[in-house]
Amino acid sequence: MASQTLQKVDHSALKTNQIIIIALNILAFILNLPVLVAFVALAMGIGSALKIPGFGFVYKSILKPRGWMKPDVLDDNPEPHRFAQFLGFLFMTGGYVALFFGASALGWSLVWLVVALAALNAFGGFCVGCAVYYWLVRFNLPGFTKQPPAGTFPGMKPKVGASL
Amino acid sequence: MSSEILLRFGLAVGIIVLGAFGYWLTNQHLLGRARNNVFTLFTKLPNKPVIVYFTTPDCAPCKTIQRPALNHLSNVMGDKLQVIEIDATEQPDLARKWGVMSVPTTFLLDARGEARYVNNGVARAEKLMEQLQTL
Repeated sequence: MASQTLQKVDHSALKTNQIIIIALNILAFILNLPVLVAFVALAMGIGSALKIPGFGFVYKSILKPRGWMKPDVLDDNPEPHRFAQFLGFLFMTGGYVALFFGASALGWSLVWLVVALAALNAFGGFCVGCAVYYWLVRFNLPGFTKQPPAGTFPGMKPKVGASL
Repeated sequence: MSSEILLRFGLAVGIIVLGAFGYWLTNQHLLGRARNNVFTLFTKLPNKPVIVYFTTPDCAPCKTIQRPALNHLSNVMGDKLQVIEIDATEQPDLARKWGVMSVPTTFLLDARGEARYVNNGVARAEKLMEQLQTL
């Protein structure tokens, strides 16, 4: 396995992002607001482009400064998390397009899929999108180069002090 | 309008509850199977909490996370805890009887041999310790 340098990734920012995505998507479903789905998709898309969690600003500007959420900085690869967010963006966009064209069942199913995967990540510590990223690394696809931190199952939240 | 919102709210709650219930039901089913098969492991109850740990030789998280977590617990609790490790590839019938669908899977049995908790996937030392404290 080639050596690689891990970066400091604040998992609290990721968790905040996931919880906001879950909350807004459920709200969008309850209020039948496809425009809110579009808003979440947009935030995730912008986040993917800027390489930050789409709703990370809530953590950075509100939760963290007020001490309402403590940083959970771990040695990790940020790339799989960005990829996971990008996958979420694709699902959300697909969901919005389906809702726009009246395919409600398909649209809301995609939205609920994102809710389920975000919940698994936020509360179960398993990032499916990250696991897909590490799985794609095996196929030597360009841009997919990172290995999971040592002692970490692909997709699982790294242990404190993990290194490679 | 408000009735539609109420209906959709109910649906959302229903989906969430259904997901949680499905997870709970799966665990109850596994615990039931474990209770029925406790005596496939013991002839005599050990009179102390037991962790039954299913693994396979090619299970990476078993080696890197689960095994160290169990070692840590064994060191902390000494002879107040028994850990039984089962290689699911060597004993596939036993794994099937216990309803093991993935590895690592850990079952926590109380001193009477009653299966009380099941963890599908990696269970960290802190979580196992919390569960052991309630036995």
